[in-house]
Amino acid sequence: MLPGLFQSTTIPALDQLAQFTHARHAVLAGNVANIDTPGYRSRDLSVDAFQSRLKDLLETSREPSAGESEGLDSLTAQMTKSAAGGGYDEALSQVRDSMQQILYHDDSDKNMEHQVAEINKNQMLHNLAVTLMSSQFRLLQQAISERV
Amino acid sequence: MITALDISTSALVAQRTRLNAISSNIANLSTQRDENGELTPYQARHVIFQADESVQMPGGAVGVKVASVETSTHEPIYRHQPNHPLAIKEGKWKDYVAYPAVNLNTEFVDALEATRAYEANVGVIEVTKNMALQTLRIVG
Repeated sequence: MLPGLFQSTTIPALDQLAQFTHARHAVLAGNVANIDTPGYRSRDLSVDAFQSRLKDLLETSREPSAGESEGLDSLTAQMTKSAAGGGYDEALSQVRDSMQQILYHDDSDKNMEHQVAEINKNQMLHNLAVTLMSSQFRLLQQAISERV
Repeated sequence: MITALDISTSALVAQRTRLNAISSNIANLSTQRDENGELTPYQARHVIFQADESVQMPGGAVGVKVASVETSTHEPIYRHQPNHPLAIKEGKWKDYVAYPAVNLNTEFVDALEATRAYEANVGVIEVTKNMALQTLRIVG
């Protein structure tokens, strides 16, 4: 019954978004940490790819026959695995064109400003997910306590 | 609104590149040999900006990118130094030494402008972030 209570809200989707932004923050922090590493190329988790996958999975999980949204749980895990395994040319960990800069002589593409901007955007997205999620919990809490 | 962040970021990168060129010009104020060791005075570098269509908003706002870094073709400055080991031996500029035609005043004004432009863009980024936070306050 309790899973049903949460599944009927947007909490599972917001949970995925929070997990994704958390994982992406780690990848972006890695870029900043390696800002002076020779030969290092920026990595990223693609927000667009994540959102289209999330959309597909939400659509399938809404169908009555699907029941549990088991696909949702593994989404961020799949993405981070593909990034951590070094296979960052995969669709889910593409680096955007605007972040790909000229190569320096040490074969790295350092671009501190872009990284910081992406970290900020990612943080905003994370804040949005957490804020929406807590307002959902507040609604549930009010329903449980039978107060208006 | 998030695209506004990209536009400001593109300006930050462009202004930093410009400041790099300016520091290169000032550092090579009296450089007489080029990178291959040839006796050619340093030529000032100028960063050329271009509106970047790839970073744009629906409203028509576009970002900026570095189109190219041009090398100045200005004549060197000749100083009369007959005893200098690099003094020119013959011709019109006999006994003169060639120095780069870098104007410190221009370079410093440019550096100031690039720094202020960088600061202005950081300010715009702050405003954009505040707007996003305010939007979140409506939602929460």
